[in-house]
Amino acid sequence: MKKLGMLIILAVVALGFLFPLYAGPYPLHVMTTVLTYMALGLSWDMMLRTGQLSFGTAGFFGLGSYAALLTTLYLGLNPLASIFVGGVFAAIVAFALGYAILRLREIYFAITTLALAGVFTVVARNLHDFTGGPEGKILPSAIFNGDPTKVYWLTFSVALGSILVSELFQRTRIRFAITAIRNDEITAKSSGIDIFKYLLFVFVITSAIQGVVGGAYAQQYGFVSPESAFSTNFLLLPIAMCLAGGIYSTLGPVIGSVILGVLSEYLKLRFPYGHLIIYGVIIVAIVLFMPHGILGMLKKIAQKTRTEVGGNENEK
Amino acid sequence: MKKFLAITLVLALVVLGVAAKVKPIKLGAVLPLGDITGRQAANAMKLAVKEINAAGGVLGRPLELIIVDDEMNPSKGAAAIDKLATIDKVDFFIGGMSSGVHLAQIPILKKYQKITVWIGAASHLCEKALAGADWYFHLHPWDYQQGAGYAIGWKQILEKYPQVKFDRVFLAYEEGAFGTASYKAYLAMLEQAKQGEGPYVGLVKEFKGESFKSAAFGGGDYRAVLRLAKEWNPDAFIWAGYDADALPMMAQAKEIGFAPPIFIGAPPGWPADFGKSPLSEGVVLYGMWAPSLNKVSPVAEHFYNAYVKEFGEEPATYFAPLGYTNVYFLVEGIKKAGTLEKEALIKALEQVEYESPLGETLKIAPSAVIKHQGFTTQKILQWQNGKQEVIWPFEVQTAEFIYPFPKWEGR
Repeated sequence: MKKLGMLIILAVVALGFLFPLYAGPYPLHVMTTVLTYMALGLSWDMMLRTGQLSFGTAGFFGLGSYAALLTTLYLGLNPLASIFVGGVFAAIVAFALGYAILRLREIYFAITTLALAGVFTVVARNLHDFTGGPEGKILPSAIFNGDPTKVYWLTFSVALGSILVSELFQRTRIRFAITAIRNDEITAKSSGIDIFKYLLFVFVITSAIQGVVGGAYAQQYGFVSPESAFSTNFLLLPIAMCLAGGIYSTLGPVIGSVILGVLSEYLKLRFPYGHLIIYGVIIVAIVLFMPHGILGMLKKIAQKTRTEVGGNENEK
Repeated sequence: MKKFLAITLVLALVVLGVAAKVKPIKLGAVLPLGDITGRQAANAMKLAVKEINAAGGVLGRPLELIIVDDEMNPSKGAAAIDKLATIDKVDFFIGGMSSGVHLAQIPILKKYQKITVWIGAASHLCEKALAGADWYFHLHPWDYQQGAGYAIGWKQILEKYPQVKFDRVFLAYEEGAFGTASYKAYLAMLEQAKQGEGPYVGLVKEFKGESFKSAAFGGGDYRAVLRLAKEWNPDAFIWAGYDADALPMMAQAKEIGFAPPIFIGAPPGWPADFGKSPLSEGVVLYGMWAPSLNKVSPVAEHFYNAYVKEFGEEPATYFAPLGYTNVYFLVEGIKKAGTLEKEALIKALEQVEYESPLGETLKIAPSAVIKHQGFTTQKILQWQNGKQEVIWPFEVQTAEFIYPFPKWEGR
């Protein structure tokens, strides 16, 4: 059974990797966007697994965007290396900020992280000469000269990396630590878990992922501006995708981002003038009627089927 | 009889066969359909296509318009170009609104290098990113051209109305990209004027700028910036913000008794009912078009009446006539070239002179970076009796300039 699961995963990864060979530029572009949101959704969910609701996704995404673009622009750094720099820069800022804000809990932590994008936006707007101010900066050309296949593979690698990190969180002792913290901090502490250390670790890692995704996005289009880099799209859409797919797992955000990402594009083509309303209603309906997301519902159906099959066999 | 029937049948089949072979010329438009500017530009494009097809199409082929919503989202706008190029296989790209979205589209447009006629994106960063793109035609004035155009307009107004003063100018700008870009553009042009260069030479002697938080982004209290302006006592007060700022800005100016001789509002669009408020009387604005142009331009009048008839609503933004112009300009070029061949069409578009519903003839000339720029100035308008009247250019002036700005008493 485990072998079959492994084979399915490998087949999906291979299909994903080979996607540019059988899909045109448009589906490729849509999937690149889906993968961007997938990586952001996974990083948001990883932090949520500690019990901390972070709204800092767009903030660290934007920081990564700026770091990647500006290092290429001013230092002539290789665009691929600059994406890595975007992740490192976001991680350093998260590490420094984490010391202060990870002392906060629940709504206080959430509100503080929500303010981060706002603060970073003000800084970016006011450093006119360095960041280009409110208008932003552009690169002479986009990464790989805009080659959609290479851009797809880049984003695919970033999303795959996020999936691996997420699985690492699920399959190592980190999972026990962060689940214990989420369930009850006092019990976790009395069990010898260094709560602050784990929270800081997860905050830094997830922020680094967001920074890398931001760096890749900025290089993909060759420009950065406060409005685009710190857009609430990079906060709200990944959250909606996680809620739709199912939280506290790797598969949930993956399913959610693929379904909602593709659905959003399909609705736009089908209903040019009302698609956003329909999209919003669908998200609300999923959250209302599938509180554990699509993955939770699938698990429930599988469990029910198993119980029924087991019951039938017992009757025999 | 049998012979006659056979000939008719053969002829009918031939005609049907030819008709089936007439492929439409496909125009791929990208616009933000959730916004009134994008929605009305899309409507106006549909109207232009309907009129052209009703008149027999172009080169004997009908036009087909495919519109994709960019949702004001850069990645969606960029994906829309890929969709139009590869799925719909359009011949040309048209449309456009936000500069942020366009910056993400430019690398994709460069990939296909199809003839593109764009009506949005005023940021000079877009122009910089399009250096060397000879297949690209930009119709909306760039940000720096707009600033220079206002200076030309005010200089001519000062000549015609000697009682008007424009020496001390105060700019209240919203702190985001739009407002700050306006402020920076003014600073740059005034700095240039100090060196004795540019359109502002001899126009503005003293300038002061102060930012405010727009109601569109959670602000809405302008009292501090208005008081500052009142104390400074300018000849002209300009605010560069959004439509959400328009009415509260006027209400708060009245509240503190601030009535400068010239009160200018420079948002990208105005609230639908702004003209109905008595506070609007005498407010000067910048724009490319106003319904009052119907009085002086038959093309504008035709467009306005056709739009109202087709959609049962009035065009409320200049992006409507601009969208209409977008299609007609391209079609005029195709007619002139007599072919869709790229090089020939580029040459033909360079020579097109299209009398647009914006009250001026559209001609292509180089701008600071690109080779193919269309309009270069906006008009100076004024709210009078609930309507936008054209004050400048004088060739299309629809009303005399009300000066000074009327006092608040009785309003």
